[in-house]
Amino acid sequence: MEADAPAGTVETMSMQAALNRALAEILAEDPKAVVLGEDVGRLGGVFRITDGLQKQFGADRVFDTPLAESGILGMSVGLAMAGFHPIPEVQFDGFAYPAVNQIITQLARMNYRSRGTMPMPVTLRVPSFGGIRAPEHHGESLEALFAHVPGLKVVSPSSPHQAYHLLKHAAAQPDPVIFMEPKSRYWQKDTVDTGTPGNLHGSQVVREGRHLTLVAWGAMVARCLQVAELAAEDGIEIEVLDLRWLKPIDAEGLAASVSKTRRAVVVHEAPLTAGLGAEVAALITQHCFDTLKAPVERVTGFDVPYPSGDLEDEYIPNIDRILFGIQRVLEYRRG
Amino acid sequence: MAEISFPLPDLGEGLIEATVLEWLVAPGDQVERNQPLVEVETSKSAVELPSPQAGVVARVYGEAGEKINVGEPLVVFEVPDDTAGIVGTVPQEAPARRRVRLSAVLDED
Amino acid sequence: MRLTICALCLPFVMRIAESGDSRYVSLMDLDTTSIPELTAEELRQLYKLLISTRELDLAAVAWQRQGILPGYAPELGQEAAQVGSAFALDTSRDFAFPTYREMGVALTLGVDMVEYMSTHKASWHGGLYNPVTTRLAPIQAVVGGSVLHAVGWAHGQRLGAADVVRSEDETGGLPAAITYFGDGASSQGDVHEAMNFAGVLKAPVVFFVQNNGWAISLPTEEQVAGGTVAARAAGYGMAAVTVDGNDAPAVVRATRAALKHARSGNGPVLIEAMTYRRGPHSTSDDPGRYRTLDEERRDGGEDPVARLAHLLLESGAADQAFLDNAGAEAKAHTETVREGVQALKPRPGQEMFDYVFAEPTDALKAQARAWREESEHV
Repeated sequence: MEADAPAGTVETMSMQAALNRALAEILAEDPKAVVLGEDVGRLGGVFRITDGLQKQFGADRVFDTPLAESGILGMSVGLAMAGFHPIPEVQFDGFAYPAVNQIITQLARMNYRSRGTMPMPVTLRVPSFGGIRAPEHHGESLEALFAHVPGLKVVSPSSPHQAYHLLKHAAAQPDPVIFMEPKSRYWQKDTVDTGTPGNLHGSQVVREGRHLTLVAWGAMVARCLQVAELAAEDGIEIEVLDLRWLKPIDAEGLAASVSKTRRAVVVHEAPLTAGLGAEVAALITQHCFDTLKAPVERVTGFDVPYPSGDLEDEYIPNIDRILFGIQRVLEYRRG
Repeated sequence: MAEISFPLPDLGEGLIEATVLEWLVAPGDQVERNQPLVEVETSKSAVELPSPQAGVVARVYGEAGEKINVGEPLVVFEVPDDTAGIVGTVPQEAPARRRVRLSAVLDED
Repeated sequence: MRLTICALCLPFVMRIAESGDSRYVSLMDLDTTSIPELTAEELRQLYKLLISTRELDLAAVAWQRQGILPGYAPELGQEAAQVGSAFALDTSRDFAFPTYREMGVALTLGVDMVEYMSTHKASWHGGLYNPVTTRLAPIQAVVGGSVLHAVGWAHGQRLGAADVVRSEDETGGLPAAITYFGDGASSQGDVHEAMNFAGVLKAPVVFFVQNNGWAISLPTEEQVAGGTVAARAAGYGMAAVTVDGNDAPAVVRATRAALKHARSGNGPVLIEAMTYRRGPHSTSDDPGRYRTLDEERRDGGEDPVARLAHLLLESGAADQAFLDNAGAEAKAHTETVREGVQALKPRPGQEMFDYVFAEPTDALKAQARAWREESEHV
């Protein structure tokens, strides 16, 4: 711990600043860590997450690459083979697609292929999800795609505190982690207790309640907290579970919450069909079948391409759609 | 909003000051990078100073005829605290709005 | 006229000459000499398009500052490269494949600029214009993403061209595709695949590289190994030409030469137009973080619009009154576009569902129904 950041310091900062701070500390503490990607060096990243890092740590540790995502990921695999701990950035969710071949066929299975002799301690940062009126391919949710790939771990923070600690935690993993940053939450400020990470494994209850569990991750956590507040006005006490780790999914945490509330609604921005909500619903059903009062409801984006800015509020689950989902679960009667 | 100061740059070898001839922008103006801000005169020549960045002019220093020292503030720009990413906008925090009310008979069995 | 066959190709050419070995690729010099200089009338037309593009581009940046557009990708400095290349196209048969910074191409092709600007208004990702009738593929955000599409489209023209008489005159020959991308996109693997396919298939496609010096914050020398994209054409057995991208008539002639080559069934051509992104990458970008104003002035080259104006006056093709009038028309056009853009309303939310499939699934129809019932747009 550095002298100017004593344990237990509580500061108010944005998620941008929290991620920047975490990266600086990772680079300072781990001489094998390198940050690479498009515009991460001189510019400091298209969302300023790597701002100042090249200046501080030099162009060998923080470097700009040509404009080729497959190249960035393939190169990260090679760097990891050489003993480095790469932290590549793909500028926007939709630009992870050109890198999907390297992610799936190489990064995710190199440890397996090499019989454990070539682990892949690679943390891929992907500004993710929608809500900022950006062009095409800048608002997509790829968690189900990544979670489906054996060999990958997937995590998404919902607050500056979580972002700071989960990024440091992810970078310390010996396996590839897809780190999905909710870009619509980059600018909101909140407290970060740098000295007290809390438990970084699994899910986390961010609001307690007894009538129904809302399961969410990334930017949808804040929205579900708003919904819980409104539901309280109607006498419904909602528990909000921030799933955090999208692979592995914390089945025990889900079961513990839903066993108590006996009702669940899962909320995500990604399209409905084969979304991660289906996996969450299956796990809840498996673990809580006897106590569930209603089928698990999913409130999600639609099975349509992520729309242009003018329509994204129609696409992303809004408060009313989540309330409708909750109402359906509350009304459900067997038979 | 944050403020960024643009001090009078060194306009030539050894020059330590310049005289404001004419302001080409006024407080409140949105300026673009490279847009002429002000005409100043040094002992060598009269030059237009281009804006080093885009932003809204918050304040300007020096009336026409006044001298400004190199390194002293010439223009202060106002820039948003929350700079958007390279594309897209910074979302505004909206108060929670709802149309749907929940109603339920919760049998606590 | 500043057409030059890429200097880096010369060693290859010489090697072929020395060895006489037919296994070496034969590099085809573009016959640019047979392309006539532009007529005075053509130069005047070109200027009108250039100044219209300039006015609209500058205005779009201002509209973003005024909150009319959420964002915009300026093309300041690239007017000659864009307008000049599109000017050479025959929209009765050719097809253009843009990225997201080809406003000058769209304007030259006669696309309704409100429908074009709708992409920056966040109305519809691909723009609201009809790509089939305008001959301009939908705007898309993936750099290098449309390059392979151009090759596929162009190969399709060959497949369907059994009865097209190969002709070298201006009116005959194959329809051609032109695909736009930049120095940054040249790093993408798709661009390599596209060039290799096109070379193997002899597809009538023009790879039009706008080398504007910068891919967001990365300068060309850190992007393009070897310093030039045009040099790579040699490896694909493809004719290549570098052209001063700030010289609009030179770009027109280079593109005409390339189209003639492609139409004749000789395969693809690569044009590298050397130009400069005078503005930021996008309206949210701050170039001060990675380049200085002095560097911009040093590297920017001649302003393509002022340069053509100068040529018109020098050559006597136009007088100052013509230039003034063209400027006024451009301003008036821009004002019309502004009114149209401001009048754009969000698209009906139903369209999210309408265009996913030609034949929507029942499941999707059910989602659309649920959306109608649960949203305020009932």
